[in-house]
Amino acid sequence: MTAPIRTLDDRIRPSDTPDSPLDTQEYFINMGPQHPATHGVLRLMLKLDGETIREVIPVLGYIHRGIEKMGEAMTYRQFVHLTDRIDYLSALVNNWVVARGVEVATGTETNDRIEYIRTIFAEIERIQSHMLWWGVLGMDLGAFTPFLYGFRDRETLTDIFEETIGCRLTMNYIQPGGVMHDLHPNFVKRTKAALAYSKSKLHEYEELLSGNVILQERTRDVGILSAEDAVALGVTGPPLRASGVAYDLRKVEPYGVYDRVDFRTAVGSVGDCWDRYWVRVEEMRQSIHIVEQLIDNIPEGKTMLMKPAKKIVIPEGVYYNQMETARGILGMVLVSDGTSDKPYRIHLRSPNFNNLWALDAMSRGGRLGDLVANVSSLDLVVPDIDR
Amino acid sequence: MGVEKSADQALGGNYLLTRVDQVLNMARANSLWPLTFGTSCCAIEMMMATGAPRHDIARFGAEVARPSPRQADLLIIAGTIVKRMAPRLRTLYEQMAEPRYVIATGACTISGGPFIYNSYTTLRGVEDVLPVDVFVPGCPPRPEGLFYGLLTLQRMIKSGETLRQPGVRRKPVMSALPPGISMDDIRSEMESLLEADSEVDVEARRRQLGWPSSTNT
Repeated sequence: MTAPIRTLDDRIRPSDTPDSPLDTQEYFINMGPQHPATHGVLRLMLKLDGETIREVIPVLGYIHRGIEKMGEAMTYRQFVHLTDRIDYLSALVNNWVVARGVEVATGTETNDRIEYIRTIFAEIERIQSHMLWWGVLGMDLGAFTPFLYGFRDRETLTDIFEETIGCRLTMNYIQPGGVMHDLHPNFVKRTKAALAYSKSKLHEYEELLSGNVILQERTRDVGILSAEDAVALGVTGPPLRASGVAYDLRKVEPYGVYDRVDFRTAVGSVGDCWDRYWVRVEEMRQSIHIVEQLIDNIPEGKTMLMKPAKKIVIPEGVYYNQMETARGILGMVLVSDGTSDKPYRIHLRSPNFNNLWALDAMSRGGRLGDLVANVSSLDLVVPDIDR
Repeated sequence: MGVEKSADQALGGNYLLTRVDQVLNMARANSLWPLTFGTSCCAIEMMMATGAPRHDIARFGAEVARPSPRQADLLIIAGTIVKRMAPRLRTLYEQMAEPRYVIATGACTISGGPFIYNSYTTLRGVEDVLPVDVFVPGCPPRPEGLFYGLLTLQRMIKSGETLRQPGVRRKPVMSALPPGISMDDIRSEMESLLEADSEVDVEARRRQLGWPSSTNT
C-alpha cells in the first residue's frame, strides 16, 4: 500500500471528480469531541457523499496532557504513576513497560516470583479490559444488556486488584525492580473463584451476543482491513490479528513468563468487525487459560529487589522495549544522558495512535452507520492517542 | 404582583411560594439527568457507577444518561480538561437547560491532579471555566464517592434555590478543615507553588541538563 502525503488543507477540499454517476456533492460533518460512541473526546471529520464515507480525518489534541514532556522532570519511579493514566484499561502493562525498560537498561535481573505476579496481573487486566470493550460494543450497536453484563463481571476482577493493589483502575503497582507489595493472602483463592465465574460467563456472552442476528449483520463484512493495510499502517494487537497476521509479542518476543505457558493466538481471516470481535472473545478465553496455568505455581521470593530510596541512574544511551497491551504494542523509547536520575527524553509508541489511522482505511467507501461499529471494534482509548 | 401580595396576606407570609419551591426542588433533586461526558480515567469509574449493576445509580433517580446536553441537567465532568477542550466544555455547559448542576469528579478537575506540575496543557481546576456545585476528590473516585457527591448535590438542591431568588445556591458544609488551617492558607500555598513552577530559568535549566548533550548530537 502506498500512502500519499497530503496536508490537512488538501484533505478538507472536496474532490473534483466524484466517482458516483449521480450529480452528488461532497460535504463534511463533525463527529465528536462530545459523542457517546467515540469513547471520550475523539473528534472525527467525515467527508461524506450522501451516506457513503469518502474519508475519515481524525483531529487530535482534546486530551493532550503532555505526559512525555512531564516525564523529563521526573525520576523513573515517579514516572510510573503517569503511565497509569495514558491507557487506563491496561495500566499494569504500561507500568511494566517502564519497569522493564529501566531493568534492562540498568542490567537488573528480576526473580521468578516478580515475573509470575506481573504476568498474572497483566492477563487479569486483559480480561477485564476486553469485558469492558464487549459491553461497550454491545451498547454502541444498540443493545444495552451486554453493557450491564460486561460491567457486572468486570467488578469481580477489579475486586482482585483492589485487594492486593488497593486501586480499582490506576494501579501504580509494577515498579522498576519488582512490584509495590506482596500478594494478599486471599489472592489465589479469589482469583480462582473469579476465573471459574468468568469462564461460565463467557459462555453466556456467546449465547447473548455472538449469535445475535443484528450483531452478525452489523459486523460481518463491515470495515474490512486487509493484512497489507494493517501492516503498512502499523496496526497492532487484536485488529492486526483479526486481519490474519499472527503477530503477538507474547509469542514472538516473550517477556515475563509467557514462554513457559501454553496458549494459542487467535487469528481472524477476513479482517472485518466480526473477526475483531471474535479475536477478542477468544483472547479472553486464552487469558483465563494462561492464568490458570500460573496461579498454582507462584514461587517464593522477594517482591522488590531495588531499594525504593535508591537513585536509579541509567547509563547513557537510547533504550527501547515493547509489550503487548490489550490493544496492541506499547513501546517506550528511553533516552538517558548518563548523569541525572531523570530521563533525558521519553517517547511512548502507543497502540491506539497507530490503530486509529486504520479507521480511514477500513471505513472508506462504507456507510456512515457502520462507522460506529468500526470505531467500537478498534477499542480506542483516547488519552492513549493524545497522551 | 398583586396576587403575590394578597397570597402573602391571606396565608401569612411566604407560605404558598415556599411550598411550591419545596415541591419543585424535591422533583429536581430526585430526577437529575446526567450528560454522558467523560474525557479520561474517571469516565470509566463514572460508567461503573451510572451504568453498571453493582453500583446502581438508578436508586437515586439519576440513571437516565443523555448524550445531548440539551436534554441533560447534570454535568458530571469526569477526567482531565485540557486547554483545547475547555471552550467545548463551556459550550456544553451553556447548551444545557436551566437549572443546571455540575459535579466535578477527580483530582484533575479540582486542581490539575497529577498533571499540576510541568504540564503545559492541563487546566488547573475546571472552576476557571464554569461554576462547579460539588467536587468529588479521588484519582479516580470510587463509585461510592460519586454517590456521596450526588447525595450532597441533592441535599443542596432541596435546601437551595427559590422562585424569588433563582440561581442562588447554598453549599452545605460536608466536612471540616483541620484546626488552624483555613481555605485561604491552602489556596495561597497552591498559588505560591504554581508560581514557583511557572518561572523557569532557561539558562540555568540548560546548564543543569548539560544541553546539548552527547545523546542529542
